[in-house]
Amino acid sequence: MKKTVIDIHNVSKVYNPDTIPVHAVNNVHLHFEQGEFTALVGPSGSGKTTLLNIIGGLDAPTQGSVIINGTDITHLSANALIRFRLHHIGFVFQSYNLVPVLTARENVEFIMLLQGVSKAGRERRVRELMAAVGLSDKMDVRPAQLSGGQQQRVAVARALASKPQFILADEPTANLDSHSAANLLDMMAQLNRDEGMTFIFSTHDARVIERAGRVITLVDGSIASDTARVETGV
Amino acid sequence: MRRPHTEFVNLNVFACLQIINSNHMLILIAWRNLWRHRTRSLVIIASVALGIWAGAFIVSLYYGMGNERVRIAIEQEVSHLQVHHPGFQDDHDVAFHFNRDSLAAVLRKVPGLRAFSQRLTAMGMLANAAGSNGVQINGIDPAAESDTRGLHGFVVAGAYFDAGRRHQILVGKKLADKMKLAPGAKVVLTFQDREQHITSGAFRIAGIYETANAPLDERNVYVRRDELGDLLGLPEQATEAAVLLHDDAQVPEAFAFLRSKLPELLVEDWQSVSPETALVMSSLDLSSFIIIGIILLALAFGIINTMLMAVLERTHEIGMLMAVGMTKGRLFGMVVLETAFLTLVGSPIGIALALLVNAWLSKTGIDLTAVAENVMKGFGYGAVIYPDLPEEKVWQILVIVCLTALLASVFPAWKALRMKPAEAIRR
Ligand SMILES: Nc1ncnc2c1ncn2[C@@H]1O[C@H](COP(=O)(O)OP(=O)(O)OP(=O)(O)O)[C@@H](O)[C@H]1O
Ligand SMILES: [Mg+2]
Repeated sequence: MKKTVIDIHNVSKVYNPDTIPVHAVNNVHLHFEQGEFTALVGPSGSGKTTLLNIIGGLDAPTQGSVIINGTDITHLSANALIRFRLHHIGFVFQSYNLVPVLTARENVEFIMLLQGVSKAGRERRVRELMAAVGLSDKMDVRPAQLSGGQQQRVAVARALASKPQFILADEPTANLDSHSAANLLDMMAQLNRDEGMTFIFSTHDARVIERAGRVITLVDGSIASDTARVETGV
Repeated sequence: MRRPHTEFVNLNVFACLQIINSNHMLILIAWRNLWRHRTRSLVIIASVALGIWAGAFIVSLYYGMGNERVRIAIEQEVSHLQVHHPGFQDDHDVAFHFNRDSLAAVLRKVPGLRAFSQRLTAMGMLANAAGSNGVQINGIDPAAESDTRGLHGFVVAGAYFDAGRRHQILVGKKLADKMKLAPGAKVVLTFQDREQHITSGAFRIAGIYETANAPLDERNVYVRRDELGDLLGLPEQATEAAVLLHDDAQVPEAFAFLRSKLPELLVEDWQSVSPETALVMSSLDLSSFIIIGIILLALAFGIINTMLMAVLERTHEIGMLMAVGMTKGRLFGMVVLETAFLTLVGSPIGIALALLVNAWLSKTGIDLTAVAENVMKGFGYGAVIYPDLPEEKVWQILVIVCLTALLASVFPAWKALRMKPAEAIRR
């Protein structure tokens, strides 16, 4: 049996409970195992971002628990949560993922500096990661000089840099043309296959959904379907 | 348990290196953020520089005024040191006198002596057909008084004492205006002699003088000491001796000398003769603090405003940094560091500006004749101020400006901490 990385138990989220309550996520139960390559789909406003934020400890659920590697992160203090994210969770957002004043290399290195990785360790890993995302020649370029697709690749490299348990990506391809989107997906799928990295990403894009090993569909904050495919990636 | 000293030091150095190492990216981000919004950074740099310059300018102006006041007090009013009979201070009575010749013998030996003047003073009344006014009658030796206080230089109408004429009097401009006195006019002085008899004498106005200190001008009239001495019945006596030295720094030595030579008399330096001058200095200090406070307040608001803008503009980025693992402490440090860098750039510019402007103005002076001559005279100041900026004041201003800038960055930094990552990232 594979290792359970994330265990979501009866999670609900209500925004503005005191004024005009918005039930963004309703009684969600989910398990994620190591090495899964999951797409979170659903119409706009169905609660994808909210659910990912709760899994990543960026937002607190109104009810329920999120257990990552045996730790219920809903009980952590704000700073403890930040440290937990630093060591266990990688993030890729829709856009503007990078610190604009740092070069690609520095953006990736930054995370390891926060973790206290030695200089030699950092340099080796930055080189590996930039090679893995195919940007060895863009190490010393600032984000503004990179294309959207390249920026997202650096973001993936940065997410990997901390050696997290899993990577959460909220619509990572939304701002990319179809070619760059396919490239990014290829790369993520390869990391999933070769290194067993667990990915959970939300998307609207049918071609992206095709690539997922597991597709969870949210409708009005509830899980409408959760289907696994036999083969992942490719 | 005792730990060897060197090991303790090494541990500390190691800890420092660790902190610098793990935070050097923060320093880098903060530094590069400065160049993201050049105009905004320049605004803060300029505010810090101007804050330091303005603070220094105000202080230098006040110090200039203070120095000027002290110079006037010493050179035109009280001299460096004064000698009286111990009872004279409480009661300006002519009974408290001393022998002139024996004192002169001592005064001539004062170290650093430039000039001295012995006066015979009496409180009395000056009257003419139009009315009367209470005055202090100063019996002086015209030549000695010129040497110690330059009294002859203040005559604005008529002339200083004329060797050929007797019973001459010098009155201040303020009093002359009030009583409509002109050179040549006759006035009567009335006072008590040594036997407490009311005595009076007729004097003719030789000249009208005007010093920088209008209130003193109204109270003091000058006659020849010998003539007043005869009227008082004290031909060989004086009630006050004023000593002018070559240099302010010689006061303690001269003071000690006079103290030891004149045990029965009261010797005072200019600060105790003219406590109001010392008071003026401290009130100048207070008002310069108030104005500097206002400048600092403006600086603080400018920085709060600008840094807040910088923080709010980067809401998404800050949310992202918190998401990927930047703790609140580091985030706070980043915003404060950014302000610190701006201050670091702005303060040397401010200091250079302050020193340059001061070097120039302390030579040329600031002439207030056109705008406020009478106001300045009313308070006993000259109309031209030579700003003076003591070095320790520059450092003090630098420190408080930098502290203000850093304190002002605390609020924007705190605002950054308060952001919720999920909401910040949605922006
Ligand atoms: N901060 C908030 N305050 C109030 N309501 C919110 C907030 N954030 C999201 N919502 C609401 O919660 C619901 C779910 O939003 P969410 O952003 O999770 O949807 P989504 O599936 O990510 O949509 P999209 O595909 O457009 O990104 C929506 O109705 C949204 O309006
Ligand atoms: Mg969304």
